[in-house]
Amino acid sequence: MNENIRVGVFVCDCGSNIAGIVNVPEVVEYTKGLKHVAFADEGKWSCSVDYLAKMKELIKENDLNRVVIASCTPRTHEPLFKRTVKEAGVNPYLLEFVSIREQVSWVHRADPSKATEKVKDLVRMGVAKAVLLEEGEEIRLSVKTDCLVIGGGMAGMTAALNIADQGFHAILVEKESRLGGLLNRLSVVCHDHVKLEAAEIVKAKVALVESHQNIKVYTNAEIEAVEGYIGNYKVTLKANGSNETFDASTVIVATGMQEIEPVGQFQYGSDPRVVTQVQLEGLLRGDEVGQVKDVVIVNCVNSKNESRGCCTIGCSVSVKNALALKMLNKDIRVDILYRDLSMVREEGSDLETAKRAGVKFIRFPDDRYPEVTKEDGNLGVRVYDILLGKEFTLPSDLVVLTTGFKGDDTCEAIKGHLKVSTNPDGFFQEAHIKLGPLDFPSDGISLCGCARSPKNLKDSCEEGAGAAMRASIPMKRGYLEAEGIVADIDLDVCNSCGLCAKNCPYGAIKWEDEKPNVIKALCKGCGLCAADCPKNAISIIHYSDEQILAQVDAALEERPEEKIIGFVCHWCALGGVDMAGVSRLQYPTNARLIRVMCSARVAIKFIERAFELGAAGVLVAGCEFPTCHYITGNYAAEERIKRAKKRLARKGYDPEKLWNVWCSAADGPKFANTMRDMVKELGLE
Amino acid sequence: MSDAILIIGGGIAGINAALNAGDYGCKVYLIDDTASIGGMMARLDKTFPTNDCSICIESPLMYEVDNHPNIEILTNTEVRRVKKENGTFTVRLLKKAKFIDEERCTGCGSCVEACPVSVPDELDGKIGGMRKLIFMPFPQAVPNVSVIDPRCRYGKMRELGACVGGCVVDCSQCRECPIALCVKACKEEGKDAVVLWQADRPMDIEIKSIIVATGIRSAEPDTGLYGYNIYGNVITYIQFERLMNAGGPTAGEIIRPSDKKHAQKIAWIQCAGRGLTKGLPYCSKVCCMVATKQTIITKEHDASTETLVFYNDLKAYGKGFWGFYQKAIENGVRYIRARPYDVSEDPKTKNLTIRYEDLDTAEIEEVEVELLVLSTGLVPSERNKRLAKVLKIELDNLGFFKEKDPMLAPLETGVEGIYVCGGATGPIDISESVVQASAASMKAVLK
Ligand SMILES: Cc1cc2nc3c(=O)[nH]c(=O)nc-3n(C[C@H](O)[C@H](O)[C@H](O)COP(=O)(O)OP(=O)(O)OC[C@H]3O[C@@H](n4cnc5c(N)ncnc54)[C@H](O)[C@@H]3O)c2cc1C
Ligand SMILES: Cc1cc2nc3c(=O)[nH]c(=O)nc-3n(C[C@H](O)[C@H](O)[C@H](O)COP(=O)(O)OP(=O)(O)OC[C@H]3O[C@@H](n4cnc5c(N)ncnc54)[C@H](O)[C@@H]3O)c2cc1C
Ligand code: SF4
Ligand code: SF4
Repeated sequence: MNENIRVGVFVCDCGSNIAGIVNVPEVVEYTKGLKHVAFADEGKWSCSVDYLAKMKELIKENDLNRVVIASCTPRTHEPLFKRTVKEAGVNPYLLEFVSIREQVSWVHRADPSKATEKVKDLVRMGVAKAVLLEEGEEIRLSVKTDCLVIGGGMAGMTAALNIADQGFHAILVEKESRLGGLLNRLSVVCHDHVKLEAAEIVKAKVALVESHQNIKVYTNAEIEAVEGYIGNYKVTLKANGSNETFDASTVIVATGMQEIEPVGQFQYGSDPRVVTQVQLEGLLRGDEVGQVKDVVIVNCVNSKNESRGCCTIGCSVSVKNALALKMLNKDIRVDILYRDLSMVREEGSDLETAKRAGVKFIRFPDDRYPEVTKEDGNLGVRVYDILLGKEFTLPSDLVVLTTGFKGDDTCEAIKGHLKVSTNPDGFFQEAHIKLGPLDFPSDGISLCGCARSPKNLKDSCEEGAGAAMRASIPMKRGYLEAEGIVADIDLDVCNSCGLCAKNCPYGAIKWEDEKPNVIKALCKGCGLCAADCPKNAISIIHYSDEQILAQVDAALEERPEEKIIGFVCHWCALGGVDMAGVSRLQYPTNARLIRVMCSARVAIKFIERAFELGAAGVLVAGCEFPTCHYITGNYAAEERIKRAKKRLARKGYDPEKLWNVWCSAADGPKFANTMRDMVKELGLE
Repeated sequence: MSDAILIIGGGIAGINAALNAGDYGCKVYLIDDTASIGGMMARLDKTFPTNDCSICIESPLMYEVDNHPNIEILTNTEVRRVKKENGTFTVRLLKKAKFIDEERCTGCGSCVEACPVSVPDELDGKIGGMRKLIFMPFPQAVPNVSVIDPRCRYGKMRELGACVGGCVVDCSQCRECPIALCVKACKEEGKDAVVLWQADRPMDIEIKSIIVATGIRSAEPDTGLYGYNIYGNVITYIQFERLMNAGGPTAGEIIRPSDKKHAQKIAWIQCAGRGLTKGLPYCSKVCCMVATKQTIITKEHDASTETLVFYNDLKAYGKGFWGFYQKAIENGVRYIRARPYDVSEDPKTKNLTIRYEDLDTAEIEEVEVELLVLSTGLVPSERNKRLAKVLKIELDNLGFFKEKDPMLAPLETGVEGIYVCGGATGPIDISESVVQASAASMKAVLK
């Protein structure tokens, strides 16, 4: 480090919010005595427009090249201060934020002198890290505008059209001989009373797709390989017997679903009068139902059992087809045997229509499915009717099974190509079921339609448009950008064990020439890889081992035996800490918290260092399960804590002094209680 | 032509639409007529089917919106007038006064501490939630600034001990206030951000498309429904959600209103208030899973609590929902397929006796519980009517925004360039709201 390091420290009063408890002038004086600190100031309201302007002046005047802000919380104010230092000509990665309102003045109101001591420690820790900070920058990976859409059903076609309408290029790959997917096998499609011929819907959509100059369609095509990552996919295709290779920047998966054929159940396969809903749709479509008199529809076949949930669309499909049969001939008797009628708002009205048309609904018990019987060649369905409390047999000349669904047969292959996962039924697993329903964990690949889970046409098309939006954002911008907090591997130290590439939740580490290579724009900076690398070859920019250890050392410079080192993740755990602050929950002053992006960043050596230096205890705090901003970082952290305990015991430290808490951003009380409990159990009271 | 987009409603649907369109490169105005963005999700505890903590996953997005260079958030803001010409909408917005200078307020809370009057909170009042007359909408609110109950200014809270009001002139006539304690507290902090004389501010913007994301409300049952509003320990599912929430009025303690004791036996009545002739004529889709979530969390708080769910048809329709329901059953939650027809209260214990017809056995049964939760369903925002009129688009017979052609052109309304998503289209869960928000933003940017 040759450069002349000049740290500026800005301590905020937050009116009386901080200054009312903490002796800020004393802190400022103390700070001025710290090594490398060239300047320190007290600000009444550091975030006010006036002070921000002053701060910029002071940074320039004093030639500062590192900035420490001690104020409220980074969760809300870090972006503002980052912008400010940037405007003052300092690289924003050279800013360190110290939280002294949420972590001190709001929660230690009864003890101003201890609160002031704590602030001094926190600022000293901040300076220790700031000194080691290095310039960083957002990382960009260029992304062109070709999008591969796999699957030419309604979802895939909708996605391709939306991509193409922006002037981007869509390559639509369908394994069958024609576009349309499931709809090619259906008779009418029904939604909220509106009925349309499936063939008409497909025809209109296919016309749009095929006439679009920005869409290239491949039918009878099979994906042979997809290699690379966003912006850099190489796709190999086998279409009509020959191989073709092209580049793509993004991928949309729209491979749809299939019925699970109930072979060997309900006489399916052995008697042609037992069919599935798709087969019935085929009969209706071709006007081939014939002279039937008694139709029995059995719902929830292979659904809602130990291994599989509700098929989502079965109830409304059964009602639609019952009505279609009634339309064919109102004298056909139709019975629907069901467990629950899962029909929501708009579908509820169809149910009433069906009842009026004379369709009978019979509810059978969850654990007593109907049976298909055959006597003298005559079919029948034996069912126990809950309402009547008795069992009887319905004569039948057509039995329709509303079966469960599974992902397309090719899902295993697609999984391998794209390195994504599916659930046991072959439906693809989204990045986050609530907030990332159309994304995969890896940037650049999105998901839509029945490939994700069974759904009706409206939902499939919405997902198609939505997935197109997700894929379009980087294509429109022309790049994918990652924050500068990323992993960096020292290949001279690396022994190519492969652990990091295996563990990265985002697939950001690719294996190239027997060595790991971090695709920086894909890295989210969780630090999981660095914490577990057996060779210590990986560093996380802005959260390096050196920087974190410097914070530990600074925290424990004085009276380590009274102090608890806490590693808290930036998201939920710090949210919980902040919540305790906002709620003014009072707890003991012993903790010195060190922020990491994810609890998975906390390497065992950090914990060990704290105990070596005599810390009273160590706390690792992360998001409450199953939430984790980095998908599964907290699970990795939990495993590692177990290992850390063993190692501590081996080295003669008391493993019981290593605590952990998984806490939600709403859970201020949980964090405050943990602090109280720790202080008590560690005998620090 | 303008490249900007207006998004009306800052719930999870509006937030997602804003982030998508903003990331895409469009200028976005995200407005909400309440004091903060966040919508319903900001008030929930956990979310089915994973039990992710709601605010934990939503607040990072709220901060992202707040710091997004392309997104401008306008809270307390209504749409007043819309004119469409040559494909461009000219929109008159009205930013209603919070009586706070949003630029200066840092959300430090000194004013709130200074305010002498507490009143029951709009959302949590029934279960003991209080707020001051100047208050923060909720701890993670964005923007993180205080807001004043407008009733305070007009002297309507005098009898409760409010410091202002009853002056010879209205607050709007003054330019400083020697009386109001909040004004004083803020001045003492050196901020002077409380502006009792602040006026509503009209604002005109030009945009190319509009996304309506005004969301849903939890239905408020009629007084007397299963004893609601008559018996203290009958509450709705949104109130129960707030009881479970560590950030709620009881800090996550599941205690019943009558005696603040931990409820040891709790029942849920599904489809409460639903009927073909009276009440909600439709299934609200999420309530079965909400009740399932609430029972699981209740069991997590205290495994010995007995939980019963009275239901008719179980809606476990989405991805992961069935497994979630199985988990509840494994945890000992009892699901009873039944039609409850009467609830009465024991005047001494305040416990409730539910009489019901068990639909599996056709027997009449009764059970006594300590707390009764009514799953009342989702209804449209009551402000939809006015908004529909201003936007010149239609509502359906239930009060949700109507899609022109739901099957072939989902999320599009009768006016080209106006799209809907999330709860504004009907009962919906979070993940479907996010899907629709992505789709609506695709359509809006393509406009
Ligand atoms: C019996 C039945 C009745 C229905 N009735 C209604 C109704 O009345 N109303 C309603 O709204 N919805 C109805 N639906 C649902 C509706 O059909 C679906 O929502 C919709 O068709 C799904 O479209 P998709 O594009 O997601 O999937 P799909 O239609 O399954 O399309 C997927 C496409 O991807 C192709 N593909 C798969 N793997 C690959 C690969 N590896 N490479 C290339 N191509 C691949 C497939 O060949 C297929 O063409 C019904 C469904 C069924 C089963
Ligand atoms: C008790 C309860 C529990 C739930 N639990 C779950 C769960 O566990 N998992 C799950 O997936 N879903 C759950 N839900 C459903 C979930 O809340 C909704 O799916 C989701 O909130 C819908 O998001 P939204 O953005 O469409 O609407 P909202 O969250 O309702 O947001 C709409 C926003 O628009 C604003 N607004 C309304 N009208 C106007 C106007 N005219 N002008 C300007 N702004 C306006 C409102 O102020 C609000 O901020 C639950 C619902 C309830 C009631
Ligand atoms: S974990 Fe470390 S040693 Fe192993 S491959 Fe990755 S960088 Fe190299
Ligand atoms: S820091 Fe996290 S996201 Fe980045 S490479 Fe390592 S494990 Fe992957």
